[in-house]
Amino acid sequence: MESIPNLNTFRSGRGGPRRRRAGLGGSSDGHGLDPHQLVDHAEPARDRIVRETDNDAGSSRMSAVALGYLHDEYAGIFFPGQDPIKRYPIINRGTYVRTTAVDELVVRFITTRPAERKQIISLGAGSDTRFFRLYDRLKSTQPGGIVYHELDLEANVDRKRTALRSSMALSQKVHDAESDGWRYHLNALDLRDLTKKSPSPIPGMETQCPTLLLSECCLCYLSPEDAGSVIQYFTMHVAAPLALVLYEPIRPFDAFGKTMVSNLASRAIHLQTLKRYSSLDAQRQRLRIAGFTGGQNARDVRQLWETDAWVAQSERERVEGLEWLDEVEEWNLLASHYCVAWGWKGDVFGEAWQGLEGFRTASEDRDAENG
Amino acid sequence: MSDLDKAIAQLRACRPIPENQVRELCYKARELLIEEGNVVTVDAPVTICGDIHGQFHDLMELFRVGGDVPDTNYLFMGDFVDRGFYSLESFLLLLCLKVRYPDRITLIRGNHESRQITMVYGFYDECLRKYGSANVWRYCCEVFDHLALGALVIGATTDLAPSDAPFSDPASQSTLPSEELEIEILNSAGQILNRFTRATPNSSQDLSQLSQNPSSPSQAPSRTGAPGTGAASSTNNSTNTGAVLCVHGGLSPLIDKIDKIRLLDRKQEVPHDGAMCDLLWSDPDDIDGWGLSPRGAGFLFGADIVKCFNHRNDLSLICRAHQLVMEGFKEMFDSTIVTVWSAPNYCYRCGNVAAILELGEDGSNAGYAARSNGDANRSRGGPLAEQRRELHMGPGRRYRVFDAAPQDSRGMPAKKPVADYFL
Repeated sequence: MESIPNLNTFRSGRGGPRRRRAGLGGSSDGHGLDPHQLVDHAEPARDRIVRETDNDAGSSRMSAVALGYLHDEYAGIFFPGQDPIKRYPIINRGTYVRTTAVDELVVRFITTRPAERKQIISLGAGSDTRFFRLYDRLKSTQPGGIVYHELDLEANVDRKRTALRSSMALSQKVHDAESDGWRYHLNALDLRDLTKKSPSPIPGMETQCPTLLLSECCLCYLSPEDAGSVIQYFTMHVAAPLALVLYEPIRPFDAFGKTMVSNLASRAIHLQTLKRYSSLDAQRQRLRIAGFTGGQNARDVRQLWETDAWVAQSERERVEGLEWLDEVEEWNLLASHYCVAWGWKGDVFGEAWQGLEGFRTASEDRDAENG
Repeated sequence: MSDLDKAIAQLRACRPIPENQVRELCYKARELLIEEGNVVTVDAPVTICGDIHGQFHDLMELFRVGGDVPDTNYLFMGDFVDRGFYSLESFLLLLCLKVRYPDRITLIRGNHESRQITMVYGFYDECLRKYGSANVWRYCCEVFDHLALGALVIGATTDLAPSDAPFSDPASQSTLPSEELEIEILNSAGQILNRFTRATPNSSQDLSQLSQNPSSPSQAPSRTGAPGTGAASSTNNSTNTGAVLCVHGGLSPLIDKIDKIRLLDRKQEVPHDGAMCDLLWSDPDDIDGWGLSPRGAGFLFGADIVKCFNHRNDLSLICRAHQLVMEGFKEMFDSTIVTVWSAPNYCYRCGNVAAILELGEDGSNAGYAARSNGDANRSRGGPLAEQRRELHMGPGRRYRVFDAAPQDSRGMPAKKPVADYFL
C-alpha cells in the first residue's frame, strides 16, 4: 500500500499549518500594497463586489420568506425571474433574527409619539423591502408623517427603480403612501461622497425631525475613517434627535471569525471596520464616541434569538417548528458573530426603546478576561 | 486488481463509481451489516472517529494522520454524509473499505444517515446532481437502515505507551511526563503536543479543562495546573479497563442497560422519538438528570446519568460524536464521556480542528470477538462485581489532532467551497 502524501505540503507558498494560520488575518489587510495605488483601478471592481452582497441578502430573504420564517410579499419583487434558492436552516434563522430585531427597533421608533414627524435613512438599502412592509403595517397611524430614505450605489438604485416602475402595484403603493404622509426617497449616492469637504445635500433629507439611521452590513465595508465620517455627516446635519442602528459581523479574532475573514476575502469582500469594532463593547464605545450619548447598546444574534423581548417564546417555538435545525453548535457560533448595536441622542429614542436591553453582560466580562 | 479494489482506487481519487456498481456495493454491504448486531463488539487497538460530513479531502487527511485501512483498525461513529460537497464519495469509499476489510473498519449510524435529514442537508441533492436520479440515494438509505447503532470496544489498555515521537515544542520534552500516561495529544505531523498522567480523584476535575482553550494543531490544549501534578494513581494493579461504548449521539432515558440496545429493531428509518432516535440524537450537558434537547430530537443528559450508566454497564468511557467541538475532542464529566469530532473547518466555515482517538490494546485480550448480536449479559451482577467495577480506570487515550486539507491538490476534483454568511 503506497503511503498517503501529506496534502498540506501541497499548499502554495509556505508550508505547514502554523504558518498558514498566522497568515490568515494578514491577507485581508492588504499588507504590502499601497492603498493609494489601488484606488483608481481596483475601486470599481471592489464597489461592484460590495454592491452585489445585496444579492446574498436578497436571496437569503427570499429563502426565509419561502419557508415561512418571515412574511414579506415584496421579497422577490426586486429580483424578477429569480426563484428562491433554498438556504440552510441556520441561515434562514439568522435572516429571521436580523430582520425581526431591526424591525423591532424601527417599529418602536415610528409608533412612539405618532404625531411627530420622523425620518428613517437606510444606508446601503439595496433590495430592502422594509419601507413597503412598514407602510402596509402602520400606514394610517402616523399623522405626523414619515420620511423614508434609501441610499445606495447607482446600479443598485437603478435596479430598484426599474422594478418599481415595472410594477403597477408598487408604483401605486408609493403613490398611496405619499397621500398618507409617507414620503419615499430612493437616492443614488456613494456614501464616501458624504465624507468630502462640502458634500452636496441629500435630496429630500430633513434636518429638523427625529432621524433613525440604519446600516445593515453597510458601513462595515468602508474604511473605519470613512464609516466614522459618514456618521459624522448626519450628526452634524441633523439638528434633532438622532439614532444609529447597526447590524454587523463581530469577533473576527477567534477561529470562526478568522475563517469568516479569509472566506470572504477569497470572494474579495473585505469587512474593513470588523477588526476595529470587533466586540459588542467596541460597538457601544463607537456609538458613544460618535455622539450617541443617550444610550449605547449591543446584542449578538444568539442573544437576540434567546431573549423574549426580541423574539417572543411563542414566535421562537413557531420558528423552531419550521425546519429541523440539527446544527445547534454551528448556529451558536454563527449567531454569536453577528450583532445589532443601537445608540441614540434625544428623548424620543429613549422612550421608544425602553425595555430593550443591550448593556454589557457578565458573559462579555468573562470574554474580556479570557481574550 | 479486483473490481472492488478498482472501485476503491477510483473513490480515493474522489471520483464517483457508476450506478450499477453502487447498487452491487450496497447489496454486499447490506448482507454484511445485517449479520452485525445492534452493538458491534470491537477489539482494541482501534482508532475512533467522529463526524465526516462529506468532507472527502479531510477524510483523506484523517487516513494520512491515523494510518490507512487495513493497517489501522477504524471505528467511525456516523454522520458520513450531508453538508460537505463529497458525501457520496466519502460514504461509498468507507462502504467499499467495509466490504473489502470487514474486520478492520466498523461503521455505526449517525442521525444524518436518514432519509429525512439527507433531504434537508444535502446528500439527496448531491446524488441527484451526480447521477441524475435518486436511485443511488435510495441504495445508500437502505444501507443506512442496516448500520449498527453502537459499538463496544473491549480490551483497551489503561496504560498508554508513550509515543516515540518528537515533541512539537522541543522545550516541552523536559516538562512533559514520560510514563504512567493517561492521555497523549499529537498533531497531524505526529509530534507530541501534550501529555497527561493519570490524575488522582482529587485532581481529576482538571481533565475537564483539557480542551477548553481554543487551539490549533500547533498549540497544545493547555491544562490548568502544572502538568504531571496528578500523582500516579493505583499503579499497575492488573485492573482491566471497562469496555468503551461508542454511539453517535448519546444515552436514552429508555436504555439503562446496553442489552436493551441489542433488543431494538434497528432496520428502519430513524424514528422521530424513542430509544433508537435518542442514541443518535442526544447530547451530554451540564445539567442534572435529563433535559429537553434544542435539536428537537433526543435528550440532554447530565453527569449523574453518565456515571450511573457506566457503572451499571461496566464501562470506563462513553465515546460519541454529534457535536462540533472546536478543539476536535472534549472530555466531560471527569472523563467518563468524550466527544470526538473529525470534520476540520466544518462546513468550510467553522474554523475548528478535528481529532481522532486511538485506544491501545492491553495484551490480555484473547483476540477474536464475534461481530454478532451475542455477547449479551456480559456485565455480571453481585457484590463482588460491584467492587471490581469501582476499580475501572479509563483507557489510555491518544488523540491525534488535525487541520483541514487543502482542496486543490493531487488532481482531485475540487470546488471552491463557498460558505454562507450574512452580508
